[in-house]
Order: sequence, then C-alpha cells, then structure tokens
Amino acid sequence: MAHSAAAATTQYNYDIIKKFALMALVWGLLGMSAGTYIAAELAFPFLNFDIAEITFGRLRPVHTTLVIFGFGGSALFATSYYVVQRTSQARLASDWMANLTFWGWQLSVLIGIIGYMNGITEGKEYAEFPWYVDLLITVTWVLYLLVFVMTLMRRSQPHIYVANWFYLAFILATAILHVFRNLSVPVGLFNTTSYSLYSGVQDAMVQWWYGHNAVGFFLTAAFLGMMYYFVPKQAGRPIYSYRLSIIHFWALSFMYMWVGGHHLHWTALPDWASSLAAAFSIMLLLPSWGGMINGIMTLSGAWDKLRTDPIMLFLITALSFYGMSTFEGPMMSLKSVNALSHYTDWTVGHVHSGALGWVAMISFGSFYHLIPRLWETRLYSVKLVYVHFWLATIGIVLYIASMWVSGIGQGLMLRAFDDYGNLAYTFIESVVFMHWPLVVRMIGGMFFVSGVVVMAVNVAMTIRNAKLEQAALEAKIAAKMAKAGA
Amino acid sequence: MKLSHESIEINAGLMIVLTLIAISIGGLVEIVPLYYIKDTIEKVDGVRPYTPLEQRGRDIYIREGCYTCHSQMIRPFRDEHMRYGHYSLAAESKYDHPFQWGSKRTGPDLGRVGRKYSNAWHTQHLNNPRDVVPESIMPNYPWLLRNELDYSDVADRMRALKIVGVPYSETEEEYLANVEQFGAAMADQFDINRADQNLLAQAQSEDWDGDRTRLTEMDALVAYLQVLGTMVDFTQYDEGYFAEFR
Amino acid sequence: MMQWLSNMENTKPLALVIFFVVFVGILLYVFANKKRSKRLESYKNIPFLEDDEAGEQKDKDSRNG
Repeated sequence: MAHSAAAATTQYNYDIIKKFALMALVWGLLGMSAGTYIAAELAFPFLNFDIAEITFGRLRPVHTTLVIFGFGGSALFATSYYVVQRTSQARLASDWMANLTFWGWQLSVLIGIIGYMNGITEGKEYAEFPWYVDLLITVTWVLYLLVFVMTLMRRSQPHIYVANWFYLAFILATAILHVFRNLSVPVGLFNTTSYSLYSGVQDAMVQWWYGHNAVGFFLTAAFLGMMYYFVPKQAGRPIYSYRLSIIHFWALSFMYMWVGGHHLHWTALPDWASSLAAAFSIMLLLPSWGGMINGIMTLSGAWDKLRTDPIMLFLITALSFYGMSTFEGPMMSLKSVNALSHYTDWTVGHVHSGALGWVAMISFGSFYHLIPRLWETRLYSVKLVYVHFWLATIGIVLYIASMWVSGIGQGLMLRAFDDYGNLAYTFIESVVFMHWPLVVRMIGGMFFVSGVVVMAVNVAMTIRNAKLEQAALEAKIAAKMAKAGA
Repeated sequence: MKLSHESIEINAGLMIVLTLIAISIGGLVEIVPLYYIKDTIEKVDGVRPYTPLEQRGRDIYIREGCYTCHSQMIRPFRDEHMRYGHYSLAAESKYDHPFQWGSKRTGPDLGRVGRKYSNAWHTQHLNNPRDVVPESIMPNYPWLLRNELDYSDVADRMRALKIVGVPYSETEEEYLANVEQFGAAMADQFDINRADQNLLAQAQSEDWDGDRTRLTEMDALVAYLQVLGTMVDFTQYDEGYFAEFR
Repeated sequence: MMQWLSNMENTKPLALVIFFVVFVGILLYVFANKKRSKRLESYKNIPFLEDDEAGEQKDKDSRNG
C-alpha cells in the first residue's frame, strides 16, 4: 500500500493541486470576511471610518473578486487539475505551464484587489480588473486551456469523462466572455484607466451577457464538473445516469448564453432582447434540474450515507441549494416579478443562495474529500466537518431569509401609493426599514465565515498530522536501515 | 495504436468545436442586432458627450464604486416616474463608456439627479450624508473636498474616448462637424486641444463645491452629478413618441 | 421555398426548427440505440478505474474509526 501511494504522488502532479487548494481557502476566508464587513457597513455606516480604501463602494469589488475569482477560481483550478488527471489516468501535461497558471492567477487576484482599494477599477461589475490585469488573465487562461486539453489527449482510454466536458466548456466560455467583455482602450501605456469599447445599451447587453455567464459557466458548469466527479467518488457509486448528463450538458451549454438580458428587464434595452432572455431563462430550469437530479439520485438506495458521512451532507445540501436557486432564478426573470425584485436585496439573496449554498458548499465537500488524498492521510476531525456544516447552513438560511424580507419589503414600499395616489413612502423610509434585515444578514455572514475558520483549522491540522506521519515513517525506515546495516 | 491515438485527438478537438458553437449562438443573436436594428437607440436631441470636467467627475464616480449602490436607469413605472422622472432612454447613455446603469438601489436612482438639488447640497451630502439625510447609510467622502483634482491626463482620456467612438475633436474638420451637431458653445468644450482650459473655465463658471480658489475632486463630481439626465428636453416630445423604440 | 428562407422575418421559426431538430437528434442518439445506451452508461465507471485507491482505504478507516 505504501508502494502504490508513493506511485500516485509521482504519477500525478499533486503539488499544483495542493497550492491551488490552499490558496482557495486563503482567498475564501479573506473574501467572505470582506463580504461580512461590507454587510456590516450597510447596517452600521460608521464602519466606513472615512477611510477611502475600505468604503463600501471600493470593498464590494474586493469581496466579489476574492470569492468568485480567488476562492471559486482557485477551487476550480485545483479540482479540474485533479479530476482531469484521475479520470485520464495521466499526469498533468506540463508542470511549468501549470505553475505559471498558478502564479498568473494569484497575481491577477492580488493586483486586482489592491487596485480596487486604491480606486483603480473599470467600473463593470465582476469585470472590474484594469486592462493590464485583463491581459495577465488572458495569458493565464490560454495556458490553462493548453494544460487541460493536452492532459486530456494523454488519457489512457478513448472516452472523455463527463466532468471534463463541463470543465472544458467552462474554460472555453470564460475565455470568450473575458476577452469580449474587456475590450477597451487604455488612456496610456502607464495609465491605469481604460475606456470600454462599447457604450450605453450595447455595453449593458455585453455586461450582462458576461455577468450572467460568469454565473452560468464559471459558477455553475464548472462546479457541475466538480459535482460529477466528487459526488460519485464520495458516495462510492457511479453517477445516476450518464445519458442524462450528456443531454443536460448540451442543453445547458446552449441555453445559458441567451439569458443575460433578463438583468435588463424594463430598462432601455429593447423589449425583444430581454423577452428572449426571459424565455430562455424559463427553459433553463430543465437542464439545471437535470444536473441536480443526476447528482441527488446517485445516492438513491444509499440514503443512509447522509446520516453517517458529513462530506456527503455537504455535497447533497449543495445540490439542494442549486435546485432551489435555479428555480428562484427563472421565477425572478419573469418580467412581473423582476419589476419588484430588480434593484433590491432579493437579487443579492438569490445570488448568495447560489454562491454560498451551491458553489461554496460543493467546494467544501469536494475539498474534504480531496485534501486527505492529496496529503495521503486522514481528516483530522470528522466532528469539525459537522460543526462546519451546521454553521454554514444556519448562516445561509439567515442570509437568504433576511434578504427576502429586505428585498421584497423595499420593493413593495417603493411601489406603494396612498389613497390620493401619492407615493406612500420616501426612499429613505425604505432604507430605515431595511436596517434589521441587514443586521440579520450580517450575522448570517458571520456564521458562514466561522464555518470556514473551522474548516481552515481542520485542514491545517490534517496537513500537520500528515507531515508528522511522514516524519515518523521516515524515522522508522531510517532505524530499520541502520539495524540492517549493523 | 496510431489510429486510435489519432481518433482521440480528433475527439477532443471535436468536443471543443461543438462546445464553442453551442455557447456562441446565444450571445451573437442577442448582441449583434443591437448594433444594426435602427430603433435600438431613440432619435432625440440634446444628448452630448461629457465636458472635460464632467468626464473627470464621471471617472471619480466610477473610482468610488458609486454604481454598487446607485442605478442610473429609471424604469417605465408610475412610482419611478413620480420619484425620479421620465424613464431613461438608451440615447441618454450612448456616450457612456462604460455604462453605469447599475444593478442595485441601496440608495436612490441617480439617472435624473441633475439640477434636482443645489451644488451646496451635493457638496454637503457627499462630505457627510447624515448632515442632510439623518437616516442615510451612505459612507462619508471627505477626501473629495481635500483632494486637488488631477487633470494632467484629461486630454489623453478624451483621446482614448475618441477612439472608442465619442465625438471629441482634434482636427478642424472634426470640430466643425461638432459645431454642426452640438452648436459652437458645446463644440468648443469637446475640443481636445483646449481640454485643460475648458476644464478650468467650467470649474470657475459655477460655485461647485463652495470654494472657487481650489479645484477639487468634489468640483468635478458635482459637475457630473448635475448634468445627469438633464440633456433631453422631454417637453419637446409627444407622450407616445419614445414608446415606438421599446 | 427559397423566398421564405431568404426573408429575415422568418429566421426565428427557422432557428426554432433547427435547434429543435438538433435537440431531438441528440435525444435519439443517446436513448434510441440499446447497444449505444449500454456503452454510454458504462462510462460512468471511469472515476472508479483509477489505479491508486490508497486514499479510499484511508478514508474508510477514518469513517469507521
């Protein structure tokens, strides 16, 4: 057994996966803390402290960039490099290229967030990176595509496992989205500002084509790739239906790109575009649920695992939240619902039921599976996984519920009229109303962050134990050798 | 062995091609027509590029992340009409690189905030929102009054904006075209060669931040806020006119 | 026929028909042929073909222990 384990570490490039996995946790902890802090700023504005670098407007892109690109991105690099090697039974194609993707990605995130705090931003949601970071990301991404595809070509059997399809679609789609969203003209070679190639209504459409597909391919398709490997592995049984995965892969890939316009209902975007987007948003429910059903039904006949295995609990809860938010999403894309929900905290709550419930939970579950295997040891504490699970779940529930109250409440207040046909409330009255929901949201965030702290401790202790075990093993071997020598 | 290896490569390549096709159609169908269909953007008088001072104000608006809490897109609803004014037209942001329609109203919409409040109100509000709106949760922006406005690169900025399609002028010919389209007074403002003096002159033309002796970031930001949504004179158009473009 | 096709107004129903046919094609490809179905379903075991299952063993230990 020792022999085969040693073989695995040399056969596969685990080093790069370890680096990405650890950085995912670091960025995740920082990004979620930043999120909780800006949530606190909204509830208690004195927390802005008149310091430009930490005002809400500048920290908000720091939060979104850290959790989407820092945490989510690094988690995807880590798991995709793991999955593509394990399902191809081939070593990663190029160690140095993989290393470059690591440094390129980490540097992009770091330069990005330091810039935002100092006011360097392009002012496009989720694409705030300045032009020079955009270039760095482009190079990194091309290398990523090369490493991934070249590894696929080394695989030892003809078929490409479906998880890799999702990862591949994510890499391709992200490349297209990134390039076309960030076409801009810099003010100068040594100037941090650049101006978007598009303006007004076209810029809006390109933005939400990008923005929603960042959700669709970065935060959904790619994490489905994660799901298609780690759920079957953790359950110890193959995915429910391979044919369903093929159908829903193509449907999802095709339909997601149409739906961005639903972010622009009732705006100056022509009606035909946002209506088309809404129609596809409704249809998208089917392929989305295809993925959820496929994941959950994998457990069919082995439901007892949910009672005994907290990692499984993470994975299946993630799929449940995925199902919930992919139902809520199409509903919010209906024009009548959107009229109320748009511009309010309901949208924020919806995003987080996907981001915390689906993206973060499936990543945590996968990491709990992955980390002991990478360091060839066992998890330090299974009990702490349970603690993490409940902290995270309570946090999400508080978050979503408070945002429903705040968002629907504000939406209703702003459209209310009194008996004489005047507006019933001023805007600031809706802000006053939102105070308590915002406080509860902040507490929900604190729960969630505490969960990640518990995870970080668990992972750190796991790695420490692995190193101790390794040292003990080496000492034993050295002693044996010495004895044999004598 | 050789054959099977080849077919595998073809397979991975095929996968990439098919995926690219599947993911490209949606974006193409929704974005490309926006450039070709005539009534995407309303035909309307008055919309013009920003002056150098307003553009610098807009840069500061973006720098501070105002779009994370304020929209600039009024929807065609009765309550929004009463609260903010006429719904926003596509034409009104046609010189906005990037657009700042926003996606969240933690604070109110700013699409037509221009000239609704005095310069003094804006200065006081940005410096400490709770001085004028006690319940506000907006951060203070005291550094806007402290920081001198950096306008050293304003001509370069206008040049970059010109490349992406904003009709600022550098040659005589472009200037004359602007005179035709926007009138001589505005065309002067859009002349890149005179960017610095135009910016200084506009900063002096009004008491933006309460102190004419200093040119601050507050001057630029208030100048930008005061022009928002004021370019189109809606009394000139019939009620149903803009509906044709929706 | 050619005239109908060249009319821009008809791109929407045309696109609908094309995409629907492709979708039905994929469905038929995936589900109609029994042998192919069997082959496709066999691929779900790929994650379990790994040559090193040492990690698995340890994980089971930790769950039991």
